[in-house]
Amino acid sequence: MTSHSMSREEILALVPGLSDASLDALTDAGIVQPVLKGDAPRFRDIDAARLQLAVDLEDAFQLDSNALALVLSLIDQLHGLKGEMRAVLGALAAEPPETRARLRGIIRETRILRVRRR
Amino acid sequence: MTDDPYAALGVSRTASDAEIKKAYRKIARTDHPDLTDDPAAQERFKAASAAYDLLKEPEQRARFDRGEIDAQGQERPQRRYYRDFSESPDNPYRGQADFGDFSDVFADLFGQGGRSAGRQGGTRSFDMRGQDFRYTLEVDFLTAARGGTTRITLPDGQVLDVNIPAGTRDGQTIRLRGKGGPGMGEAPPGDALLALSVREDADWRTDGDDVITVLPISLDEAILGARVEAQTIDGPVMLTVPRGASSGQKLRLRGRGLQAAGGKRGDQHVELRVVMPPSIDDELARFVENWRKDHAYDPRAVRGKGGR
Repeated sequence: MTSHSMSREEILALVPGLSDASLDALTDAGIVQPVLKGDAPRFRDIDAARLQLAVDLEDAFQLDSNALALVLSLIDQLHGLKGEMRAVLGALAAEPPETRARLRGIIRETRILRVRRR
Repeated sequence: MTDDPYAALGVSRTASDAEIKKAYRKIARTDHPDLTDDPAAQERFKAASAAYDLLKEPEQRARFDRGEIDAQGQERPQRRYYRDFSESPDNPYRGQADFGDFSDVFADLFGQGGRSAGRQGGTRSFDMRGQDFRYTLEVDFLTAARGGTTRITLPDGQVLDVNIPAGTRDGQTIRLRGKGGPGMGEAPPGDALLALSVREDADWRTDGDDVITVLPISLDEAILGARVEAQTIDGPVMLTVPRGASSGQKLRLRGRGLQAAGGKRGDQHVELRVVMPPSIDDELARFVENWRKDHAYDPRAVRGKGGR
């Protein structure tokens, strides 16, 4: 999706701690999905960042590829939601005070009061 | 960034390789920027990664211990964390978010269709703003305090003169519009974000908007009082040292501190430090002996003030 991509050799050089074998394993497990261009896979910046995180997580928690895929999927969901939350908050911030007060009332009703009642 | 990799990992210099690895793993678990939002954690993780890179190889560690190499140069190249990508709406690794009854509301707001189209590598052309590139720029204390221009070369070879505003603090970010990655389609390029790191300076300490300096004075200046030159952010000024000044006494220079957000400046506190002559000659010793006979005083009579 980004215009910049790199070869297998380049990404191995870029990501500290990433070995040839672990790149294969992570690709086979679908944890990283390189872009196919011609016959050789190309890696994007997002793949480099994801591989770096995968290496960090493997090292810190001694995760196998299933557990690693699960953790990364949770991170994808959480980060994605954070991005959306930020966008919603940004949109709310630009609304006039009356609108925000009205929404605050609804949010309070559905989230805070209901949670407390349980 | 700390100069002591052992301190960054919180281990002793005699720690075993296993202990070092354990300490690094512990920090990675709690402070990895992809797992926490705490900005301080990010700094700790960065320091710990650099330290671990240095100490994990026994041979390299031994060279460091012998003083053959220092902790600098071990910093990892500017790293982009996964969250820089994964928070973006087009993260290809993220599945569809399902909000149950509210799915259509979500799709209405965020255009749910956009993601899946992108994921399948649809042929539809689209415009996407270029990436923001993040860099860290180190500036020395006086440049940050006074403001000034510093020349940088971006990794793509662009040379830029960056304007550092007066009163810049550590951690502030400067945005260079359009100096990031190229946009796709009709979209504009991204920005370059420079996180400023202000280098520590032994001569200049800060406390909020205030600046603290130490001014050495001679024995005679301390006793008799004097006009002496003191450095400020704006250059040297003449300062009146009062008669009978003690070490630790502070003189305030109003408005000579750092520029605060509102344009108002903090103060400078000049801490006096009485420095004895390089050698105590007989004449001085004899004089003080005589003086003591009639004028002895006990500076420790009042406790609890740190001798001030």
